[in-house]
Amino acid sequence: MSSRALLQASGHLIVRTARPARRWLRIAPPFTLPAALLAWELTVHILRVPVYLVPPPSRILAILWAERGLYLQAAMVTLGEAIAGLSLGMGIALGLAVAATFYPPLERAVMPLVLLLKAIPLVAIAPILTLWFGFGPMPKVLMTALLTFYPALVSWMIGLQAVDPAALELMRAWNASDWEILRHLRWPSAWPYTFTALKTAIPLAFIGAVVAEWTGASGGLGRAMWLAQTNLDMPRLFAAAFLLAAMSLTGYGLAAWGERRVAWWRS
Amino acid sequence: MLEIRIRHVDQAFSIPQGRWVVFEDLNLEIPPGSFTVIVGPSGCGKSTLLRIVAGLLRPTAGEVYLGSLSPEEARAARWIGWMGQGPALLPWRTVEGNIRLALEVNRRPLQPALSIGELIELVGLRGFERAYPRMLSGGMQQRVALARTLAPGPRVWLMDEPFAALDALTREQLLEEVERLWQRFHATVLWVTHDLHEAARLADEVIVLSGRPAHVRARFSIPDPRPRRDERRIGEWVQTIRQALAGGDR
Repeated sequence: MSSRALLQASGHLIVRTARPARRWLRIAPPFTLPAALLAWELTVHILRVPVYLVPPPSRILAILWAERGLYLQAAMVTLGEAIAGLSLGMGIALGLAVAATFYPPLERAVMPLVLLLKAIPLVAIAPILTLWFGFGPMPKVLMTALLTFYPALVSWMIGLQAVDPAALELMRAWNASDWEILRHLRWPSAWPYTFTALKTAIPLAFIGAVVAEWTGASGGLGRAMWLAQTNLDMPRLFAAAFLLAAMSLTGYGLAAWGERRVAWWRS
Repeated sequence: MLEIRIRHVDQAFSIPQGRWVVFEDLNLEIPPGSFTVIVGPSGCGKSTLLRIVAGLLRPTAGEVYLGSLSPEEARAARWIGWMGQGPALLPWRTVEGNIRLALEVNRRPLQPALSIGELIELVGLRGFERAYPRMLSGGMQQRVALARTLAPGPRVWLMDEPFAALDALTREQLLEEVERLWQRFHATVLWVTHDLHEAARLADEVIVLSGRPAHVRARFSIPDPRPRRDERRIGEWVQTIRQALAGGDR
């Protein structure tokens, strides 16, 4: 007999029921995006908005399909930079958060510098990075890392500290080392915060990569947007923006899915 | 079996208003293998005393020994079993995984006093090995915590109101189990509670602490045979403890 069956049989299974949402609220989410696009399409046609101001979604999607090879190539460049920058930013943030857990004064020493970095408008840094590191992927990766570092650091610092005090006391009573406490208690406790960080950092990673590409690049969606804007080619500018938004949403969705799979005990 | 000796212990905390004195020259001897229950008014330092014995808090002055070891040494030797007011189970580990955790830490794996399966059987959770904490009732979670406390075979059990949050019926069942397990493992138990009935029911010795700064107001031996089911007799002891709590030193 399975544990669940035994629990049910003994009356110990705790069933948590959610408050029933209104029917329309439950079925609405899959339709909100198509509805918004439809409203956009109709508005542009009814008000006869010129295509060089706001192109209709149908035109944007048609361009995306017709030039899919070019856009796919640009998207892959931006995706690669975003993933590399995200990994670098989150990796440094994790290292620092773990180090601050072992040695708390480090947090007080480092946070002013981190806040200073956060306070500088990173859009202003992008041209400097391009000047220093050229038109290759390096300035894009660094820009992305700078943008994603802060939310990841804050999330992990909170996550690694947000442990059940009773469990922490128990581990200390067992004479657990700091490393064992990190491995068995702090790290699993921080998993939900990791996904919170990812959900914030993934859209920022794409923004970082595109902003850096905008200031000088030989490829990527930022470069495509810059070219389109220079030529006042709104449909192509929107096409690149559409693709960027789709990648951001997919990344966010993957992080949310990962959260449900890995940090399932929170749900 | 281990004796616990608390000698000339002072404990004070610095607070904005000055010094918060919890103990001043506290002296106690807990006989080896005894079941000693500590009662006292709220905030008198019962839990603080348990933390000092566990080596989780270093006293401002004085010494504590568990047998010949200091609390820190006893902790390193895994002589101490700690159980707090909540079960403190890790929600991402199964019942079995939570119990096994007690054997995985302290830098080297321990050979359990009993197998995990035997421990689960002892606390009446057979069939729930792979269940997660959120699937269990409060009483079952405390049973898991009890099995986890016993897993490394501790020689001293330090129990801080472990069943205070449970309903009366579940608490009654668990008290019976604790008594049975204690008789089997021959550990020295230091048990903190507010529940005088629980104290009269379980204790070989009852230590009544005064308000802050706490000192031993009274100490009783309860020689009645176990298991104690005579409610009239338990009631008499409850009355005696209550009088000691309310009245002067004895």
